[in-house]
Order: sequence, then structure tokens, then C-alpha cells
Amino acid sequence: MQRDINMLESIRNGGRRVVDRLSRLGFSPPIIFLLVCLAISPLFVKNQYVLRLLVVSLYFGILAMAFDFTGGFINAVNFGYAGFVGLGSYTSALLAVYTGINPWLGLLIAMGITALVGFFTGLLTLPLRGIYVSLMSWFVGMTLMALANALVEVTRGARGLIVPPIHEPDSILFHLYVLLTLLIVIYLVLRLIINSHIGLAFKAIGQNYDAACASGVNPTRYKLFNFTLSCACAGLLGGYFAHFVGIVTPDVMGMGYTMEVMALSYIGGSGSLLGGVFASFLLIPLFDSLKKLMEYRLIIYGLLLILVMIFYPAGMNGLYLQLKQKIFQKKGTPQ
Amino acid sequence: MNEWDDMELATLQDLLMTGFLRGGLYASMAVGLALVFGVMNICHFAHGEYYVLGAYGAFFAFVTAGFNPILSLLVASALSFLAGAVTEKLLFYPLRQRSKGEWIMNAFLLTAGLSVVLQSSYRVFFGMKYRGITQYWNTSFQIFGMRVPADRVIAFLIALVAIAGLWFFLKKTRSGRAIRAVSQDENGARLVGINLDRIQTLTFALGSMLAGLGGASMLSLSPAYPFAGNKPLIASWFVVTIAGLGNVGGAIVGGFIVGIFESVSYFFLGSGWQEVASLLLLILLLLFKPTGLFGTQIKSVWE
Repeated sequence: MQRDINMLESIRNGGRRVVDRLSRLGFSPPIIFLLVCLAISPLFVKNQYVLRLLVVSLYFGILAMAFDFTGGFINAVNFGYAGFVGLGSYTSALLAVYTGINPWLGLLIAMGITALVGFFTGLLTLPLRGIYVSLMSWFVGMTLMALANALVEVTRGARGLIVPPIHEPDSILFHLYVLLTLLIVIYLVLRLIINSHIGLAFKAIGQNYDAACASGVNPTRYKLFNFTLSCACAGLLGGYFAHFVGIVTPDVMGMGYTMEVMALSYIGGSGSLLGGVFASFLLIPLFDSLKKLMEYRLIIYGLLLILVMIFYPAGMNGLYLQLKQKIFQKKGTPQ
Repeated sequence: MNEWDDMELATLQDLLMTGFLRGGLYASMAVGLALVFGVMNICHFAHGEYYVLGAYGAFFAFVTAGFNPILSLLVASALSFLAGAVTEKLLFYPLRQRSKGEWIMNAFLLTAGLSVVLQSSYRVFFGMKYRGITQYWNTSFQIFGMRVPADRVIAFLIALVAIAGLWFFLKKTRSGRAIRAVSQDENGARLVGINLDRIQTLTFALGSMLAGLGGASMLSLSPAYPFAGNKPLIASWFVVTIAGLGNVGGAIVGGFIVGIFESVSYFFLGSGWQEVASLLLLILLLLFKPTGLFGTQIKSVWE
């Protein structure tokens, strides 16, 4: 009898320890629950359109997360994000069309090249402060778009490049699971980095630059690492999405997409990583299901971004934390 | 052989002329950008949207309402001045009151949101239609033996007058001096009793008015449509980068440099590569001369 209770106790303790450890990795119970829901959703949802929406939401969610990794942590906003995404798309598409190498290898190359361009953009601008990197990445993004437009012989310019599917047969479920895996892997990597001493340096740099320098943090190296990683994610995602959509046009590098990703990440809550993913799952299906809203999509994004910036910088993540605090206060358990 | 040389010379002259006339527009827009940055520390990303607003205003005044050219231009300037003032009161004023983070970055993001909102609104309200006119004034001038449409010359003169007017305003009037005081030292300006909120609104409105006037005066050359502001925006950023952020005087010279560079590179490279060339040059400039060719007083942005 006594032993049973002891065992129950130790199982409970062990369970709590597992939950604790997972939470520290960023996978708190509600997040695991939602991820599992997403993973088993194809069992209940047979509608292709809905599944496609989930895939698109995942894609923008991951982009918003990777964007937030720089924007929310080291306070350097990558203003040419769509350009970097598009660079990944074009690299992987051109490789698939002209060389016919394995598209998965192509994805890795796309990721590498985008990371490289990000690295050099960062290398040249990150030693300087704040706004400089934003301006520069804006110009770099625009240059990439202008190049995609101008290199008509290679990219077919505005007519767009047809991209073969990455996997035969091309099924939406496949894309859903690949992107879900990407979400979990990228989230885990980013969270591990943020939990390590590197993350502490990020926070120091983002919150008080001068104090960070004074306490011996070399800001440029950390910022460069952060920026490059975020660009690598953009390249990987962009490369994959080109295969999913089946066509790349220079438009994918336009300011509108940067705005969309940026708005999602700020609406979700700057510095929360997953906030952008939630915002994406909330807003993208909403806009898509109400076709009438499509025309006003960017207006709404822009307005939401402006409102969040002025009145509620914590975003959806802040809302969630406030709510959680209230619930725990009522129960009387300190959190 | 001789004939060929003549033609070359004529093309070159034509290119320089086009660039020079276009440079006037860029100069006046860049001066607005520099003013807004110098006084308010806002990297204005939505400057092109006020250019488009001015163009729409002038189009509706000139074509729909049938006003004469001068009146149409005045309507457009008044409209963009007002729009600038309203924007400042609605967005930047509350941000200034509440913002705890880095002001430059937050304000920059705000203008980015504003740019998207305005562009999409134009698209919803006016559609993706080009609204242009053939000309305001049905004459042309002879300059160095070349016939130049009056609209081009007058647009150039308008830009010069606007810049001169602004200069006069900044140097000679009480409000203008207050603006300069704020750009030099905000706290000092507050101490001597300058109403900062009013000055910031006025500055933003003036900057927007310069953009709107530019859009209106160029209506016969580049029609109004929702995304018409992108090119002038990039060009005027190009100018302030050359001149040094916040350097109002340098922006005037920079405007002409950019105008001539654009028309020459357009001739040799075609429209697609011209854009690439401009942007690459811009990136190189930012890399090697981040404070601009003529330097800037404002150090906080770059270091």
C-alpha cells in the first residue's frame, strides 16, 4: 500500500520533471497540445482547401518566427526579408530547372546561399547601430528583386519560373508534415539558442546596447550569428515554398510580403517566437476564407501593426501572459 | 562621321537635361525627407505615398474639377500638407507619448505600416488605373536649341521655388527658426518655450507637402497610380544617402546627381538594369560612406 503511494508519487514527480524540462525547451503543455492537434488534424479534416490553408499558415508562421528571432531579440529589423525568402526560392527553383539535382540538396544550397548573402549584409552593417541594418537589408532585398526582374534570360522575369514539385506524388499532407517538422525543429533550435548564454547576450544587446558592450559582450559577433541564422531560415522556407507553389515570380520579393511577415511577428508579440505562428494561424485563414477581405488584407495588416506598435507592443503574447496570470491568481497558485 | 558626333552630343545633352530637370523633383522630395529626419528623427518610409496623394489631388482638381494648373497645384499641396499634419497627430504623437523602446526603430516601423496602409487604400479607392494628363501648359521652351515641354521646365521651377520657399521659411520666420532650434537641440528648444508638439506636426506637414507638390507637378510625366510613390521614394532615399541623413543643403546637390545618374544609366542599361545599378551604387555608398558625401551632424543613427 505504502509502496503504491510512493510509486504514484514518484511517477507524478517524474511527470512533472518531464513537463518542466519540456517547458524549458519552449514546449509547455498547451503548445504540445496544439502541435498534436495540428499533427492529427488530417484524420478529421479531409477538405483539401482547409489543409492548404494550414500549410500556408505554417509557412508564414515559421517565417514570422524566424523574423522575430532578429526583430524581437537583437532589435535589428530585417527590412528585406521577402528578398531573402525570394533568393531562397529562386536558388532552389533555378537549381531544379537548370541542373536537375536532387531538390532536397537544392534546398540546402538555397539555405546556404541565402545565409551567405545575409552574412555579408550583416557583416557590413551590424557593427553600426539599429536603423542602418534595416535600410541596408531593404536595399539588398530590392536589389535582389530588381535582379530577378532584369535577368530575363535566366529567371524569365515577370512571367515567372515554373518549379517542379519536390516530391512525387505531390500531396498536401506531405507538405503539411514537412512544414510541421520544420516548425518544430526550427523552433527547438531557436529556443535552445535563446536559452543558452548566447540568448542572454541577445537580450543584453536588445535591451541596453551600451551596457552590453560595457560588460564585455562583443555585440557584432552575436548579432551577425543571429542575423545569418534568420536569413538561413528564410532561404530554406522560401526554397521549399517555391516547390510547393510551383512557380516563382519576382513579386514574392515585394515589400508586401515583408510587411505581412513583419506584421504577423509584431502582432504575435515581439520577442515571443511562437506569437507569430499563432497570429499566422489566426489571420491567414481568416483573410483567405473571407475573400472580400483579401483586397483589404494589407490595409488590415498595416493598421494592426500600427495599433500594436503604438498601443500594445506586447502583442498577442502579452495578452496571453496577462490572461494566464489572471487565471492563476484566481486559483491562488503563484506562477 | 560628323553627323554621328552631332547626334551623340545631342543625346548627351538630352540626357543631361532630362536628368537635371528630374533632379529638381528628387531634390525637393529629399529635402522633405531630410527635414523630417533632422527634426523628428523619423526615417520616413511613407514619403512616396504623399507624392502619390499630391498626384491624385492634382489630377482630380485639374481634370475632374477643371481648375487651372496653378490652382490644382495649390490644392494638391494643401491636401498633402493637411494629410501630413493629420498623420503626425494621429500616429507619431501618440507613439512619442507611449513609446519606451528605441524611437528611431519604432517610428521607422510605423512609417512602413503607414506606407502599406496608404498604398493599399489608394488601390481600393482608385483602382489600379493610371490617371495622367498630357500636359498642364500647352507650350514648350527652347533650351540650348532643344525643345523642352513647358511642363518639365515648370515642374523644375516649382521644385526650386519650393526649396527656396522652405529655406526662406526656415531662416526668416519664427516658426521656421523654431524648427531649426528643435533639430539642433530638443531639450534646449523646450527650455526656451518652443511648443515641441506643434513644431513636429508642422515639420511633418511641410515634408509631406514637398512630396505632394512634387507628385502634382510631375503629373504629366508620371501618372498617378497606387504604387507610383515607390520610385521617387527610393530615389529620394538615394539622395539623402548621398547627401548624408538630415543634411538639407546636401540633399539639393544630391538630387541633381541622382537625377543625372538615373537618366544616363537608363540610356545605357535600359530600365531593368538601371534599377539594379542605382541600388548597387546605393549599397556601395552606404558601405563606404555611411555619413554621405557631404557629412551629417547626426551621429546617433550610424554609430
